[in-house]
Amino acid sequence: MEYDLQFHYVKQAWPHLMEGLWVTLQLTFAANVIALTLGFGIALLVMSRHWFVRAPFALLIEFFRCTPVLVQVIWFFYCVPILFGVYLDPMPMGILALGLNLACFNAEAYRAAIQAVPREQMDAGVALGFSPVQRVVYIVFPHALRAALPVLITNGITLFQQSALVALVAIGDLMYMGKQVATETYRPIETFTTVALIYFAVSFPVARLAALVERRLDVARV
Amino acid sequence: MWRGFEGIMKIDFSFLSKYHEALLMGLGTTLHLTVICFGFALVLGFALALLRGSKIAPVAWAATLYVEFFRGTPVLVQLFWIFYCLPIFLGTELSNFTSAVVCLSLYGGAIMSESFRSGLKSIGREQYDAAHALGLGPWTRTIYVLLPQAVLRAVPVLLSNGVGLFKESALISAVGMAELMFIGSTISNRTARPVEVFTVIALIYFLVAFPLTRLVAVLERRILRRLAI
Amino acid sequence: MYDAKTQPLASLRNIHKAYGNLKVLSGIDLDMSPGERVVVIGPSGGGKSTLLRIMMGLEQITEGSIEFEGQPYITALNGKTRIDANVRKKMGMVFQHYTLFPHLSILNNLMLAAVKTRGMARAEARDKAMQLLARLGLEDKAGAYPSHLSGGQKQRVAIARALMLDPQLMLFDEVTSALDPELVAEVEQVMLELAEQRLPMMIVTHDMWFARNIASRVIFCAGGVVVEDGPPEQVLGDPLNPRTREFIQRVFHIHG
Repeated sequence: MEYDLQFHYVKQAWPHLMEGLWVTLQLTFAANVIALTLGFGIALLVMSRHWFVRAPFALLIEFFRCTPVLVQVIWFFYCVPILFGVYLDPMPMGILALGLNLACFNAEAYRAAIQAVPREQMDAGVALGFSPVQRVVYIVFPHALRAALPVLITNGITLFQQSALVALVAIGDLMYMGKQVATETYRPIETFTTVALIYFAVSFPVARLAALVERRLDVARV
Repeated sequence: MWRGFEGIMKIDFSFLSKYHEALLMGLGTTLHLTVICFGFALVLGFALALLRGSKIAPVAWAATLYVEFFRGTPVLVQLFWIFYCLPIFLGTELSNFTSAVVCLSLYGGAIMSESFRSGLKSIGREQYDAAHALGLGPWTRTIYVLLPQAVLRAVPVLLSNGVGLFKESALISAVGMAELMFIGSTISNRTARPVEVFTVIALIYFLVAFPLTRLVAVLERRILRRLAI
Repeated sequence: MYDAKTQPLASLRNIHKAYGNLKVLSGIDLDMSPGERVVVIGPSGGGKSTLLRIMMGLEQITEGSIEFEGQPYITALNGKTRIDANVRKKMGMVFQHYTLFPHLSILNNLMLAAVKTRGMARAEARDKAMQLLARLGLEDKAGAYPSHLSGGQKQRVAIARALMLDPQLMLFDEVTSALDPELVAEVEQVMLELAEQRLPMMIVTHDMWFARNIASRVIFCAGGVVVEDGPPEQVLGDPLNPRTREFIQRVFHIHG
């Protein structure tokens, strides 16, 4: 290989990359806020006793889970304005697309967790005279949130990584900035390696945290 | 910002029949790519799972670092790295298809190794005891007792990983390979009808992925019932 | 050479076992003659199962030694446990939780070790497995998988799997504890038949009635030592040691 690595180009472009990282983090955070709340709502709806409530949300979940995120993002960018006459800036549109995608994945996590609440816990709730709403608030929800937490965190990190593809619809995130710097400096190796390391430096500690939370919860359950 | 619903009135899918051959070709390329990468990723993932359990610490660390790195960075970054940087390192151009295969296989391997590992971990202490009590040596124990159970338990997750690769492969369009998503974008640009085109593209992905996820669910139930003891 | 008439089948000397600071066994001595059926009873945590697992070579020991058929089998030396693999092949063990291999059919569960560790020809192993299954009334289950069997059937298969290797000593570790009450009898019946054939056994059980039926000798283990050792009528019926007496009274009071 006759390529001598010169990282000072990257050093010069560092503020740009950080600017991109900031956008990526905003995007991730906002999408997670949408997904954590909306996801629980969707989970409750998809477990409804009435099939006409269940069916559309089950379909929604399956659709988001069974198509590429890239297709979803592109679809939102091109189709939402035309179909619904709503014109949003790229950033809110990106947040909406990624947030809805994540909400569907989180809904599955919540649903599995709700179903895993032991039958006896519910029986005990009935025996102790809790009302149905009280049973959901005091028994189901704490159980479900604890059980779902590791998956919710993992889903959140996955979204952080997948947010890179909004670069393809010209949102100025970390990936987009990385592409620009690589093109301008003709230094793809240094730039993309640095970009990869930045993504890794953010997601790895959070992934460790998720693993730690999972172990803690396992111990607590015994 | 609200401009009403007039867009919905103009929807018309009929023009797409002209492009059905191109779409099928794109789907063919996507499936071809997915199947090849699935195979490579399985082999790589299994090797990585074994290496991570190695008694030689540096080997285990290297394998772990590899897995964590590929799981901890966006596939899109990996893709760009392999497209723009790998040729510089190798000193030769790689075809789009080769680069795509390299990228998804390396990424897939990291994901698969996790599934194999949790399959191995889920085997109870008692199975080791029984193998010991029957005097099975380490080799027989691994090949005939542990491995089949680990693989059986991992099958549903490995298949879901395969569906995951199928979906991730849409990213390859970003580097100009003519798979399903790329063909879709091209048609959309040419006809200026993104709603119809991308809806159909999404449906095609869905129609492939959804039955596979159902199959995975069925397999999972069956396997768990078989292995229940 | 080993002489069954004059030498003990197994002799355990001063067996100690500790997990860190926790002492499980503190000096077990035991001689077992061929044809004996030793039932080990005692309170939970008294080291009964550990003793069996040590006999099988599944656990390290901190001190002591075991001879089997006059040959050194297990020795503790400088904190390391040496286990003679050839002697270990003479033990067979059945566990509380069946531990059948769930991915193999019943027939293959029986054949695996015989073919892979004893070099038995497949056809021969198959014949032997089918004979054993027939003896236990399970020949129609040969092609089934463990998950299709009841607990009692699984445990009988587990016994057959151990018998495939012609053990000189069978170790039964609470083999009926996980079973529904109505399935216990079929497993105990198989063990009684083996007892009639004078197969040496060491049995850990909580079932005192069964202990009385099958034992030629009963050992009461508590606090990591042998507290009382004698024929079943004595240890279970009229124990000499007050600790044994108290334990027996309590157990019979609950179960009787």
